[in-house]
Amino acid sequence: MTRRYWWGEIGKDGTCTPAPVDGAAALARLATLETPMESWVPAPWEATAACGGFADRAEYLARLHRLAARLAAAGVADALQRPDIELARMVRALDGLDEAINLLTERAVEWHATRDPGFTRKFSSMPARRLVPLLAVRAKGPLRALLAEIEALAASRAALAKDVTRAANRVLPNCSALVGGLVAARLLAAAGSLDALARLPGSGIQVLGARTALFSHIRSGTPPPKHGLVFQHRRVHNAPPGRRGRVARVLASRLAIAARIDRFRGEADAVFIEVANARIDGVLE
Amino acid sequence: MIWRDGVLVSPGAGGVYGERMRGGFRVWDPRRSKVAALAYIDREFEIPEGARVLYLGAANGTTVSHVADYAEVVYAVEFAPRPMQDLLAVASRRTNIVPILADANRPGRYAHLLEPVDLIVQDVSQPHQAAIAVRNRPFLVPRGRLVLMLKARSIDQERPVDEIGAGVTAELGAGGYAVESIRSLVPHHRDHLVILARTAP
Repeated sequence: MTRRYWWGEIGKDGTCTPAPVDGAAALARLATLETPMESWVPAPWEATAACGGFADRAEYLARLHRLAARLAAAGVADALQRPDIELARMVRALDGLDEAINLLTERAVEWHATRDPGFTRKFSSMPARRLVPLLAVRAKGPLRALLAEIEALAASRAALAKDVTRAANRVLPNCSALVGGLVAARLLAAAGSLDALARLPGSGIQVLGARTALFSHIRSGTPPPKHGLVFQHRRVHNAPPGRRGRVARVLASRLAIAARIDRFRGEADAVFIEVANARIDGVLE
Repeated sequence: MIWRDGVLVSPGAGGVYGERMRGGFRVWDPRRSKVAALAYIDREFEIPEGARVLYLGAANGTTVSHVADYAEVVYAVEFAPRPMQDLLAVASRRTNIVPILADANRPGRYAHLLEPVDLIVQDVSQPHQAAIAVRNRPFLVPRGRLVLMLKARSIDQERPVDEIGAGVTAELGAGGYAVESIRSLVPHHRDHLVILARTAP
């Protein structure tokens, strides 16, 4: 049997065919090599001499180091430079922006209240996106600058949310058709990658994002969560309380199929979407 | 191992991850590195000069960088792309580190890059740690040494650590290793055992 090493191949009769040790050809060859371990024969570096080899051990190691580093860098690029990974990171950035905006708004409102004795609690029930511009008009100095920053953050949040929806329609066309781009993207981010999402069973997708409730159920037998992130979809949260669990379960089961179509076919399947939507709406009738 | 005033150090250029220096040597902190903790607990433990090492679970390359200060060459296997980026940065300044992006469960994917090694250091957070050690056994020279950092909580959340250690020891024995010692890494690392073994003839 031919024994394959990074520097060459040794045939049955012991003759050695050198392999490319740098450049694209070497990377392509190494990316596909897989040795059955039962028949792996260790090759001390001296064995490379049969292949023309290297001047000395230092050169052997230097060549190997350079080649391995290139190979690993290419592998990292493959794993990270993917649209689904980017989408998951965009969702995380979006969540970060939300957190920052909420926190800063709260602090700015508290600060404003000390300056304006006439400021009443009725403002605190007003949504931040309306409250902040209102305060910005009255405020002065650093507080005004802070409020302006919050408004700028809110603007980039809105732009990012649109981008996320657009990217989700591209990366997750079928999931997006069922629950909308934003929720589909959140599911993807919770699973970690499109691969991971496509491997999840429907029951897993149903409780994605309900980690605390799920583990409390497993540990101490509290009622199991009916829904996680899928609750953010209107057909779940608008359903009457008694039916939400059932809607969430049916929806999640269709999402599991949708995620697999997204992963392995990558394009919208109009027939599937129509049938799935009809099945989900059927629960609500 | 090299000690300076009772502190474990390694010879090499500093500034890999913000480690302290002492007399021109890099301080190797037992609370950050399990291999350093092993050296503190077992004063006999040595990484022989000129050793060829296979390091499974190289992570960001902090421990790997210290091991590389002692060894001739370190084959550093790491599966996760994010830490591999850091490991590549470490390897760019230490040419005796051979970075390998691969799953230690599937040695066939990187066997063609290796040569026989004197020492395997394994530090992976996986449920089947003994199986991984057994699968990588062919890479060891005869009487080669295995240092297995056993993360007990990756195997079972609740069973006592010693019981988990006994199970792994039995599996290693069945897989062609002669276990020499099994110790706890307390106080440096909680719920971790270190198993020293050699390939059985």
